[in-house]
Amino acid sequence: MDQSSLAIETVGLTKRFGERTALDGIDLQVPRGAAFGFLGPNGAGKTTIIRTLLGLTPASAGTMNVLGHPVPDERAQALERVGAIVEEPRFHMHLTGRENLRIVAAVRGRETFTRIEPALARVGLAERADNKVKSYSMGMRQRLGVARCLLADPLLLILDEPTNGLDPAGIQEFREMIRAMVEQEGRTVFISSHLLDEVEKTCDVAAIVDRGKIVTQGAIADLAAGGGARHELILSVDDADRALAVLDANSLVDEARPSDEGIRVVLAGEPPTAAQINAALVQAGIGVTRLEPVRHSLEQRFLQITARLDADLVPEEVKA
Amino acid sequence: MNPAIALRMAGADFLKLRKKRSTVIWALVLAVAPVALYFIFKGVQHSSNPGENSPAGGIRGYEDAMPVLALFFGPLAAIMIGTDAGAGDLAAGVFRDLVVTGRSRVALFAARVPAALGLCWLVMTAAYAVLTIGIYALASGTPTPGGALLINGLLFTLFATGIVCVVAVGFSSLVGSRPAALTALIGWQLIASRILENIESLGSSRRLILSQAVTHFSPIFVGDHHGPRGGATVTMSTATAVIVSLGWIVVFLALGAWRTRTMDA
Repeated sequence: MDQSSLAIETVGLTKRFGERTALDGIDLQVPRGAAFGFLGPNGAGKTTIIRTLLGLTPASAGTMNVLGHPVPDERAQALERVGAIVEEPRFHMHLTGRENLRIVAAVRGRETFTRIEPALARVGLAERADNKVKSYSMGMRQRLGVARCLLADPLLLILDEPTNGLDPAGIQEFREMIRAMVEQEGRTVFISSHLLDEVEKTCDVAAIVDRGKIVTQGAIADLAAGGGARHELILSVDDADRALAVLDANSLVDEARPSDEGIRVVLAGEPPTAAQINAALVQAGIGVTRLEPVRHSLEQRFLQITARLDADLVPEEVKA
Repeated sequence: MNPAIALRMAGADFLKLRKKRSTVIWALVLAVAPVALYFIFKGVQHSSNPGENSPAGGIRGYEDAMPVLALFFGPLAAIMIGTDAGAGDLAAGVFRDLVVTGRSRVALFAARVPAALGLCWLVMTAAYAVLTIGIYALASGTPTPGGALLINGLLFTLFATGIVCVVAVGFSSLVGSRPAALTALIGWQLIASRILENIESLGSSRRLILSQAVTHFSPIFVGDHHGPRGGATVTMSTATAVIVSLGWIVVFLALGAWRTRTMDA
C-alpha cells in the first residue's frame, strides 16, 4: 500500500487546446484525509484539471500522481479507489437507479456489487432505486452520482461542482455527508466549485485557480487571512485616543489603527490574547463597549486575488 | 482481462440495450413486420385467386421471404441495435463515468459487441420463428423446407445480420453519434450498396461490397441454380467471401476501438 501523504500531486501540469492554454504549469498538492476545495471562477480550468487527472483527456506536459500512482502510466491502479463526478452526473435515463449502479459495478469488479445496496441507503435512495432515473430530480441524480462514487469504496472522491442544482436543504445534507466521509471514514474529498461559501463551510484546505494557474493554496483559515493566520479584533471604546496609546504600548498587539468600524487591532498571538487586551483597556479606565473578532472571509480574499489578477492584465496604457 | 469481468461487462451492456424500449420495438418491427406483411399479402392473393397465385408458404414462400428478412430488413434492425450499442454511452453522457473506473477503454468498447449481437440474434430468431410458422401454416399442401434448410437459413440470417450489427457497433463508435451513424449506414444499406452492386462497369471490385460477400453464403438460390446465390450480382469464391466479410468486421472494429481509446471522454 502506498504511504504517500498526498492524495493528488501534480507538477507543472499543462493542458493546451490548440493555441489556448487551459492549464498552465499547475503544481497542486492535495493532502490525504481532508476535504480539499478547488476554487475558481467559471472557465478557470477546474473541470479541465479533473478531466486530466482522471484520464478523460491527456495532459500536454507535466506529471500527475493519484493515490501514489503515476497517471497515466498506472491509471487503472490509481483510479481503482477513486470515485468521481465530472460536471453534472449523467445516467442512462431509461434504466433505474439500481440498474445504473449495476452497470458501473460490472465494470469495476464483482466485489463492487455488494456495495450497491449500502451506497443507495447511504445517499437515501433505497426506496427510489427501482424507479427510472428520468423520473429523478436533479438533487436525486446528484445523490445517485455520489452512490456511484461509493461503489469504488473510494479513498479519494473527486466532485465537480457537486451542489449545482441542490436546494438549501440538499446542500446542507450534502455538506454533512462530505464532512462525515472525511472525519469519520478518513476519505479524501476533492471539491471543485465556484461557490466560495460552500468551499469555506465544507473544506479544510483549498487552492484558488484562475486562468489555468494556481494562485494560492493552503488551509482555509490561512487563505482567508491572506497567507498567515492573522487574528484581528474590532474595538469600540469611549476614548479612542487613549485606547490607541494603550494598545500601541502593549506587546500583545502588532498593530492598532482607527477604522470605520472602530479600532482595528491585529493581535500578536492566539485569540486568548483578546481577553488580555480587554483587561488592559479596562485597567487603564477605558470603557469597552464592543470587542469582536474579525472573521476573515474566503470570499473577500478570493475577490482580492482575482481583482488583482484582473488589474495585472490591464494594459499599461489603459492604467495610465 | 479477466473473462468473468468481460462477461459481466457484456451483460451490463446487454441490459442497457434490452431495456431501451424504442430500440427493441423498432428492431422487432423492422425484422418481423415485413415478413408478416409478406405472408398477409401473399395469403390474400392466393386465397383470392389460387390458380394464378402460389401459396404464401411452402418452399416458394421460403425462398421469397427469407431474403426479405436476412438481406434486407434484418440488416436494418441490426443497424438500429448496433448503432445504439456503439454510441449509447456517449449519447447518455456516461462514457466518462465508465472511463473513470480505470477500466481499459478498449475493454469498454469490446463489451458492446457481444451485447449488440445478443440482442440482434434474439430479434432475428423471433422473426425467423414467425417466418417458419408462416411457411408451414400457409403451405397449402405444397412442399415445405426440410429441417436442414431451415437450420441453414437460420444460421445464415444470424450470420448476415450479425456482420452488419458488428460493423454498426464499430462505425457508430467511430462516429460518436448515433443519428449520424444510423443515417449513414441505412443510406449505405438501402441505397449506396444497391446502386454500386448494379454498376456492371465496376466489375469484380463489387466483391468488396459486404452484402455481395454475405449473399454468397445464402442457402437458397434465386432463379436457376447456376447463377450467384440469393440474388447476388457478382460471383466469388467462398474464400473471397470469407475474406471480404472478415475484412469489414476487422476494419470497423479496429476503427471503433481506436476512436474509443483516443477520444476525449
